[in-house]
Amino acid sequence: MSSLFNDYQPGSFFDEMFSAPDSARAHYAGITGSIGTLSPAEYAARQRTADTVFLRQGVTFTVYGDDQGTERIFPFDLMPRIIPHKEWERVESGLIQRITALNLFLNDVYHEQKIITDGIVPRELVESASHFRPEFKGVKVPHGIYIHICGTDLVRDGKGEYFVLEDNGRCPSGASYMLENRNAMKRTFPGLLQSLPVRPVDAYGSMLRETLAHLAPPSVIDPNIVVLTPGVFNSAYFEHCYLAKQMGVPIVEGRDLVLKNDRIFMRTTKGLQQVHVIYRRIDDDFLDPLVFRKDSLLGVPGLVKAYQSGHVALANSIGTGVADDKAVYALVPKMIKYYLDQDPILPNVTTYLGVDPKECEYILANLPNLVVKAVNESGGYGMLMGPHSTKEEQTEFAKRIRANPRNYIAQPVLQLSRHPVFQGDHFEGRHIDLRPYVLYGDRIQVVPGGLTRVALKKGSLVVNSSQGGGSKDTWVLWDDE
Amino acid sequence: MLSRVADSIYWMARYMERAENLSRLLLSTQDLLLDAGEEAADESQFWGPILMTTGDEERYDKVHATIEGELVALFLALRTDNPNSILNCVRAARENARTVRDQISDELWECINGLRLFLESPEAAALHQNQRAAFYEKVLVASYQFQGIAASTTPRDESWHFLRLGLCLERADKTTRLIDTCSAISLDMPPNPLARPLRWAALLRSSSAWHAFQAYSSNKLNPVDIVEYLLLNDTFPRSFAWCIEAMHTALIALCGNGRLEEMKVPVRLLGRLRADIAYITMDEVLKEGLHEFIDRLQSKLNDIGASILQTFVLYGDSAPVIGEASFLAYHPKVEANMQIQQ
Repeated sequence: MSSLFNDYQPGSFFDEMFSAPDSARAHYAGITGSIGTLSPAEYAARQRTADTVFLRQGVTFTVYGDDQGTERIFPFDLMPRIIPHKEWERVESGLIQRITALNLFLNDVYHEQKIITDGIVPRELVESASHFRPEFKGVKVPHGIYIHICGTDLVRDGKGEYFVLEDNGRCPSGASYMLENRNAMKRTFPGLLQSLPVRPVDAYGSMLRETLAHLAPPSVIDPNIVVLTPGVFNSAYFEHCYLAKQMGVPIVEGRDLVLKNDRIFMRTTKGLQQVHVIYRRIDDDFLDPLVFRKDSLLGVPGLVKAYQSGHVALANSIGTGVADDKAVYALVPKMIKYYLDQDPILPNVTTYLGVDPKECEYILANLPNLVVKAVNESGGYGMLMGPHSTKEEQTEFAKRIRANPRNYIAQPVLQLSRHPVFQGDHFEGRHIDLRPYVLYGDRIQVVPGGLTRVALKKGSLVVNSSQGGGSKDTWVLWDDE
Repeated sequence: MLSRVADSIYWMARYMERAENLSRLLLSTQDLLLDAGEEAADESQFWGPILMTTGDEERYDKVHATIEGELVALFLALRTDNPNSILNCVRAARENARTVRDQISDELWECINGLRLFLESPEAAALHQNQRAAFYEKVLVASYQFQGIAASTTPRDESWHFLRLGLCLERADKTTRLIDTCSAISLDMPPNPLARPLRWAALLRSSSAWHAFQAYSSNKLNPVDIVEYLLLNDTFPRSFAWCIEAMHTALIALCGNGRLEEMKVPVRLLGRLRADIAYITMDEVLKEGLHEFIDRLQSKLNDIGASILQTFVLYGDSAPVIGEASFLAYHPKVEANMQIQQ
C-alpha cells in the first residue's frame, strides 16, 4: 500500500518510529494507518494551517543578536513523538529520583555541607560554581525545597537507552510550547488523538499553581501568586504570559513591585497589594540590585531581604544554579547514591571535567571527537561540536579551556535518536531530545511527556530554539495494549 | 489590577480607535474628492487639513515638499517613520496588547495581532496602492471586530472600564479635531440651492454619522445642525457629548462618585465638562467661535487624560512622564526604524 512513509530511511540511528525501513514500532501503528494515508499535499496543507495559527496567536520567541525582525514562531513539526506507557514509567521514576537528590544536595550545600565533609563532592567545585550563592548559606527556605520546577533534558543513544543530558534547575522554559503543541494537534488531527489513549497535559497550569501555593507563608490562606517577567522584550515573554494566564495569576515586571516592611507589594489601580509567592523568570543575577547586579533594572530592590525574612517565597529558590552547573552535573549519580542509597534510574552521559587535570588533557587531545560545553551557558551557546568544527574553532576552544579549565566539560558525541520530520513533501529523520517538566510541591509531579525538541537542520545535533531547532508534540500512552 | 496593566489596556484601546478614525478620515476624503468637481483640481486644500487634524504637518513637510493625495495617504497609512500612521498605531495597540495578553481574551489578542500581521505584509502595501478604499475598509472592519470582541469577551471589571475610557477619550478628541478642520469654512448654506455643502457632508461621513444624521434632520444638510449633532447630541455614539457620557460611566464604575471632598480629580474635571456640554446652546458656541470652543474642549480633555494617569497609574510618585503618556505603556518609537521605507 502506498504510504507517506514508504521511502523513509531510518538510517543507522535509533529511530523512534521505525525499527527498520517499512517496519513501524508497535506504538506507532495508529499513526502509520492514519497519517500515512494522507497525500504529501494534504499533509503539507495541515502543517501550513498549524503554522498560521501559531503566527496569528503570536506563539513566538525572540532571537537575540539577530537583526532579522525579533519575533519568530518556534517551528512546529506535526508528526507526534510517542512514548509507550512502560517506557515512560521508568523515565518518570528516574526524574523523581533525580529532583529529590538535587534538592537534598542544595539543602545540604547551603546548610551543613555533609556531602563535602564526607568527601563525595569537592568543596572547590561547589564554591567555584558561578551560581553558588554564599549569601544563602544558613537561610531557611520554605519546606527546604530549592528546585520547584525542573526541566531535565533527556536524550536517547544509538541503542534507544535514555540518558540525562542536563538538569535545568534555574528557570527552565518551554512548557508553554508543550501546551500549545497539544492544542495544535487537537485542531489538526482530532480523530487521531481520540483513537489513541494519549495522556493529557493540560493540567500543567493547575499543577504549577498548586506547587506555587504550597510555598506561601503558612499564615496565608489564599496567597497572591505572581509571575515575575523581565518584560515584553525578553525572548520567553510569550511563555511568561501564557503560564500566568493558565494559572489565572497576574504577570508583573520588577517596576510593578515595591518593598515595604520587608514585604513585597504590587502597585495596583487601587493601591498596594501584598504578594506572597513569586514564580520568577528572572535569573538570580538580576533579581535584586541591592544584593546581586547593581545595574539591574529588572528586579526589585530589597526582594532578597523579603525572601530571607520569609514574607515572600520564590520559585525557584536563589542559588539553585550550583546544582545544574555542568561540572556538578557529573556528580549527580554520586549524590543519588549518597542521599538515597539508590542507583540512578536514568544514567548520566559520560562527562570529562576540565577541572580534573587528567580529564582536561583527555579533552584537549580529543577535541574533534567531543562536545565541549561551558559549564553555565545554556540555549546551545558557548559550545563546540567537535566533529562539525573547524581547526580554527578547535584551537580557539583549546585556548579557552587552558585559560579556565573549571569552566568547561566535554562529553562524547551521542548519536541522538531520530524521528521522522516532514520536509517539504516527504519525511526525513532528524535528531530529537526530550524535556519533561518536573514539579516539586507537597508532592512531586511529572507532566506526562514534555517538550520534544528537534534539530531541524539535516545531521545537526543541536535542538535549541535559538539555534534553528523546532519542536513536536509528545504523546505518552495510558497503556500499551 | 496592576497600574501598568490598566495603562496598557487604556492605550491599546486608544491606538485602535486612532487607527480606525484615521482610516475613515482618509476614506471619506478620497470620496469627497470624487464629488468635488472643479474644486478638486487643488488637492492640497483637501489633504492639508487632514495633516492638521493628526498634528503631522511638520513631520510631513520634512519628508515631502508638496501636499499630494498619494503621498499624504501613504504617509498616514503605512509610513513607518510617521508615529501616527495607521501602521504604527496598530503596532502600538498590538505591543500594549502583548504586554497584557494574559489579561485580555485570546480572541481579542488574535484580532489585533492579525491586523498587525496584515498591515506589515506586502499584500497590505499592494492593496493600499491599487484598491485604497478596500484597504481602509479592512482596517475599519478589524476595528469594529475589536470592539465587538471586546464587548462580548471582557468581564465588566476594571479591564472593561479602562478600555472604555481609552476608546471614548480618543474618540472624543478625534471628533473635535475633525470638526475643527471645517471651522474655517462658512457655516451658511451654499447660495445655489442645488449645491450641497460637500465639506460638511464629508464631515458626517468621517464620523460614520451620515445615515444617523439624515434620519435625525429629515434629510436637511444644514452646517450648524451638523456641528450641533456631532458636538452636543447625546444619542449618537461618536458625538462629543456621547463620548463624555460614556467616559463618565466608566470613571464612576472605577472610583465611585462620593462626596466632593473625596472625589477623585478626573471625576471632578469630567463632571464639570459634562455639565458645560449639557447646558450650552449652539448660539453660545458660535458666539465664542467654533475654533475657540473646540480648543477649550481639547485642553479640558488633555487635563482629564493627565489626571487619569496621575490617579490610577502614578498616584503621586514621580514616575517619568513623556507628553501625554507615562513610560509604562508602549508608544510608537520611530527613530529605530526610520530607514525602512525611505
